[in-house]
Amino acid sequence: MSLARNAPALLPGGNIRRLLAKWIIALIIPLLVFTFWAGEAIINTVVSPATAPSAVPTDVGSLIQSALFAAVVYLVVIALAGYVVATDSGRDRFWKTWLDVAIFALVPLILIIFAGQFAGENALILGLALSVVVWGIYFLIRNLIQRRLPAASKPSKQDISPVADLPPSVVRQRAVLGSFWFAVALDVIWLVIDLVYFFSGQIGLTILIWVIVRTLLLPILGYAMGRFAEAYIMWRANRAMAAKGTNGTGGAKNGQKEAINANPGSSNGLARARARIMNDLPLRSAGAQRFMLTLLIVFLLFYPAIDPFLFGSGLDGRLSGYGDAGYYVILALGLNIVVGFAGLLDLGYVAFFAIGSYVWGFVGSSQFTVITGIQTNLHVVSWLFWPMLIVTALIAAFWGVLLGAPTLRLRGDYLAIVTLGFGEIVPVVFLEMDKYTNGSNGIVGVQPPAFPGANWNTSTPYYYLILALIVLVIFANLRLRDSRLGRAWVAIREDEIAAASSGVNLVNTKLFAFAAGAFFSGLAGMYHAAKLGVVSPDNFSFGDSVIYLAMVVIGGIGSIPGVIVGALVVYSLNEFLLPNLDAAMNTPGSVLYPFHQAITSVIPGFAFENIRNLIFGVLLIIIMLFRPEGLIPSARRRRELHREEQDEVEIGALDVNPGAPGFESEIHVE
Amino acid sequence: MTTFLQELVVGISTGAIYALIALGYTMVYGIIELINFAHGDIFMIGTLVAIVIMNAFGVNANTQLAGFPLVGIMLVTCIGTMLACAVLGLVIERVAYRPLRNAPRLAPLITAIGVSLILEDAGKLWKGVSIVSFPQIFPLINYSIGPITINSVNILVLVVSVVLMIALQLLVTRTRIGRAMRAVAQDREAAALMGVNVDFVISFTFFIGAALAGAAGFIYGLQYGNTFFYIGFQLGLIAFTAAVLGGIGNIVGAMLGGLVVGIIQSLASLIPGSVLPHGGAAWSEAIIFAILVLILVFRPSGLLGQQTPEKV
Repeated sequence: MSLARNAPALLPGGNIRRLLAKWIIALIIPLLVFTFWAGEAIINTVVSPATAPSAVPTDVGSLIQSALFAAVVYLVVIALAGYVVATDSGRDRFWKTWLDVAIFALVPLILIIFAGQFAGENALILGLALSVVVWGIYFLIRNLIQRRLPAASKPSKQDISPVADLPPSVVRQRAVLGSFWFAVALDVIWLVIDLVYFFSGQIGLTILIWVIVRTLLLPILGYAMGRFAEAYIMWRANRAMAAKGTNGTGGAKNGQKEAINANPGSSNGLARARARIMNDLPLRSAGAQRFMLTLLIVFLLFYPAIDPFLFGSGLDGRLSGYGDAGYYVILALGLNIVVGFAGLLDLGYVAFFAIGSYVWGFVGSSQFTVITGIQTNLHVVSWLFWPMLIVTALIAAFWGVLLGAPTLRLRGDYLAIVTLGFGEIVPVVFLEMDKYTNGSNGIVGVQPPAFPGANWNTSTPYYYLILALIVLVIFANLRLRDSRLGRAWVAIREDEIAAASSGVNLVNTKLFAFAAGAFFSGLAGMYHAAKLGVVSPDNFSFGDSVIYLAMVVIGGIGSIPGVIVGALVVYSLNEFLLPNLDAAMNTPGSVLYPFHQAITSVIPGFAFENIRNLIFGVLLIIIMLFRPEGLIPSARRRRELHREEQDEVEIGALDVNPGAPGFESEIHVE
Repeated sequence: MTTFLQELVVGISTGAIYALIALGYTMVYGIIELINFAHGDIFMIGTLVAIVIMNAFGVNANTQLAGFPLVGIMLVTCIGTMLACAVLGLVIERVAYRPLRNAPRLAPLITAIGVSLILEDAGKLWKGVSIVSFPQIFPLINYSIGPITINSVNILVLVVSVVLMIALQLLVTRTRIGRAMRAVAQDREAAALMGVNVDFVISFTFFIGAALAGAAGFIYGLQYGNTFFYIGFQLGLIAFTAAVLGGIGNIVGAMLGGLVVGIIQSLASLIPGSVLPHGGAAWSEAIIFAILVLILVFRPSGLLGQQTPEKV
């Protein structure tokens, strides 16, 4: 009997059934789409390599990687199901949850699958870029509708039960039930479909055995992941209570309900809400975001192993494309420091990129012998790539300081022009000093890096290298942003005179901003030189500087996830969308061909490639006029620019204690 | 020595064109403290519009004209170009700059870059990516004054520029609207309190500045005989340097700055290849830009400007 009391009953009661229905339906549809697109193929290949599709490698290493990937994906999603069922406070309606999940999980999946069919080469990035567009349109429409509708009635106090209000046993029950029944639902649907496959002869006996094993295993895993989710929730709740426990006034649990319905206009209510509420909108809470981040990291790490299941052959070309996208991301992050954090409009960013490329071009090729007369062994030079990463970046940073120094006393407009001038001049210098730089012929034969066991003629090592570099750069940016220097940058951006009066050393801080931006640009330049193998002045032009600025602006000035997304969107627009549109327009059979005839009769020179700058110009103007904070704004920016639209307690900020890194606190003066 | 003087003449001629473009930059900056990145591209569109107007009269690269038709067509083209560019400037101000007048400093700069990109691509779509020839209808007669040669087109350029600059100076100093422009440039809110329609004055400033750029486009085409979709960007940067050199916000300064920059650019081509690889001509952009940096470092207010402390 005591066992029965402690073990939660596995049959849900009344209102839990509604929660289960809501979340299981919401989460299972994307997971099923993924399963029947690629997940089934991955698992079947692991179980029985004989059933692998043609392009898939079946060596043990790949199989283990694929197995790990599949296991993590399904376990994380099952745990997520438990988490969201447990932490749901009932504030969101069914349809809103389903719509949210459909837009944010289902739409990208479908777009990627769709893109895979007509542009198998670049399906992932193209699909993601298209989904970003869809999200933008969805937000726009949602905002418009929300402004038109009368204020939605809030659910009454009795109907909301935030997770901190619940006793631990109820939390455990909900988490376990959520995971368990999600796993069971997945199990049943999968079993039925696999039985259909089996009886129609499409899968063999070995797979059937696996199906039966899986059917028995999944509910157990569901229960286990439910307990895991519950443990996670309790851990976070205890941490939040402990941090705020000494400051809380009165019962924390009573305060929560009161705080949800507190008048948002008064800072007191907001402050109390922030002190107590653990976020009660599950999908947007920090906990759920950690699940999704785990999924993303696993996906990125194991991507080369699972790509053949998703898109067929052509892995090398795709990885090369991701490598290029990667250095754009690093450039965007570096420019984000100068433009976003410090507010210094830098239009000549390509200069530091060129410097980084040329430094490795000098050192890492036979040009070194031409310049200095010292013979080098090129294979040994490849090993120098790793120390040269830091050295090149430091050289670029040094030039950042040099080029930034004359601009220190200038205001924003002059600074833009001067940096624009530098961005023009540096490539010209490299072009004209052809005794050292080989002029317009460029430097060829630039060595790739050397790493034991990696074949640098393929793209896979470059993919992992850029992933590692991006992780380091993101880490550096986060630390910089939340450091004293980062706050000094923000102070300068907002009001220089006030910052100077508060003791910020303007000169040093601005120089450091230029140096930091140039540092990351140098890194990207060196990677680019090593990957491409050739350094020539044609690669660096003012147009590139504008593209980097567009990445930062479209993504969200000053926001780290924003500029990453901006970089990927702009890259895919640049590299994939426009040339593919051109190709589509020129093939007679396609939908766009008649338009091509019509347009070229009026404008002879028309091609989508030619109007790339036009599209960017229009995008920049539209973003500046209607959404200046960009696609994914930094929290500070969003508050700045849409102050009058704050009508509900902010979601994302509530999980983090004010004052902790990442909160970006603001002082309310009433 | 003769080469030196000859280059001086060429420099003054180019400098006059730079001065006309610089005037647009300086006026807009004086009035709303915005660097109009798109101004150089308005100049480029002006050259293309002039070509279109002349083609509409049946004038192409080989036409010879004289006397009355010549003067007539030139007047019509010049005024047409100026009007078209002025309207373009008005539209740009209305669409891209006015909504952002109260936004943080970065926003109108970015829209200005956006407009510049759009205009460049419009020029590319309109007339293609290669050099477009401009009908040089003004008869080319060379006059020799001592050792140097001046041709009639140079004189035309100088005459047109001087006339326009004098007209502008009279407009700004002697008329009501000019006084309103100076008032808005000095203190926008006080001017509004005094009954000046600030929006109208700012639009008018853009109108005049763009009209001058259009005129500059016309005479640029007459002098050089060709145009290219990218010249807006290139000349824009040089003209901005001229505006800063003379003191931004100062109209006489822009004229002076234009002349100085033109002269420096021509004299730079005299630098031999032994001093700079490939000779001074390839480095002229770098030299002009270096001048810009030096001015901004040592005398940011320019030659004729006043040092204004930044107020809290």
